[in-house]
Amino acid sequence: MKFVDEFRDAELGRVLAGQILSAIEPGRHYKLMEVCGGHTHSIYKYGIDDLLPSNVELVHGPGCPVCVIPMGRVDDGIAIAHQPGVTFTCFGDMMRVPGSEGTLLEAKARGADIRMVYSPLDALRIAKSEPEREVVFFAIGFETTAPSTALTLKRAKAEGVKNFSCMCNHVTIVPPLRALLDSPDLRLDGFVGPGHVSTVVGARPFEFIPADYRKPIVVSGFEPVDVLQSVLMILRQLAEGRCEVENQYKRVVPYEGNLRALEVIAEVFALRPHFEWRGLGFISQSGLKLSDAYADFDAELRWAVPGVRVADPKACQCGEVLKGVIKPWECKVFGTACTPERPIGTCMVSSEGACAAYYNYGRFAREREVV
Amino acid sequence: VPMTVVRVDSARMLALCEDDGGTRRSVEIALVEPVAPGDTVLVHAGTAIA
Repeated sequence: MKFVDEFRDAELGRVLAGQILSAIEPGRHYKLMEVCGGHTHSIYKYGIDDLLPSNVELVHGPGCPVCVIPMGRVDDGIAIAHQPGVTFTCFGDMMRVPGSEGTLLEAKARGADIRMVYSPLDALRIAKSEPEREVVFFAIGFETTAPSTALTLKRAKAEGVKNFSCMCNHVTIVPPLRALLDSPDLRLDGFVGPGHVSTVVGARPFEFIPADYRKPIVVSGFEPVDVLQSVLMILRQLAEGRCEVENQYKRVVPYEGNLRALEVIAEVFALRPHFEWRGLGFISQSGLKLSDAYADFDAELRWAVPGVRVADPKACQCGEVLKGVIKPWECKVFGTACTPERPIGTCMVSSEGACAAYYNYGRFAREREVV
Repeated sequence: VPMTVVRVDSARMLALCEDDGGTRRSVEIALVEPVAPGDTVLVHAGTAIA
């Protein structure tokens, strides 16, 4: 397929791996964070880290939208789903994220009307076809997904659909990056920037990283050649003493982003004063709620929710994985008590979660290495 | 997900799009229109974002 096949070229990958080898300084350890869960998935799926020198370490960041949802928000969703007359809709991954008393899938098994949808537009279609039901969409994701929710809410408002609402869990990418950069736990040399989020927000919002923290960031595509080229671009910046925002994913990402998407986000959403992230705690102005103009569609205003903060299970180390402090296999329950079939933590649920990606692909390479 | 536009309904801002596995879906195109059959769009949660 156009824009895909040429970025999976094995020979080109090997050439880039050779260039990476020549770009590094012997004896120096490089720690680069890939922010986006899509990159984590690609890195393990294609064995990209096997092509890197041992002193170039990729650290997984908090960019998996399912992984950062705290348990309390799942509990709030389940509480709404159990209301009489409610049809609760969400993406497939979200169905398996554990709350303090089980998952949405288990709530469905107990009788709640919970349905998996591919898009918020599908949820709106359900609302229109079943006007006797109150249809709630559990919205998650970064700025990549927020426009889809926003356009659906605009459509619902324009069409006068009254039995549709949204429980908004959308988050923004810049505040957690700043929190990570301020964290004393983590020393990073640079960032592989999030390609899909940047499609919407552009590359400009990341200018604070070189300006305030003197670190390079390269917005990257998701195919193996994209990721390798982005790593090379970061290493070259470091070798040349530069720190800039560069855009490797120019075929998709305009530097200023998608202005129409940014407008619709600004119209439909407003920033929350703070929002809880799994593993990162409360981060100021990092979450979105519906704006006053769309308050009639806010599920949290239609139904009371517990709103209780729930601590993660003690055995689960998703928080440290999300901050890049430990690798998935260093978690105490990885691959034993916590597997994709029976996940304890969110990182094992979504295919973009570092633990699930590593469990599905990377563990085999590591088994060979350990043996 | 990269998808190819098959048919466009400009009045409703929707397009029928197909992925490389042949699956077809109705996609919101308000953020990228105008698009035409044969164009490649990047679709996220049912909306073309690029």
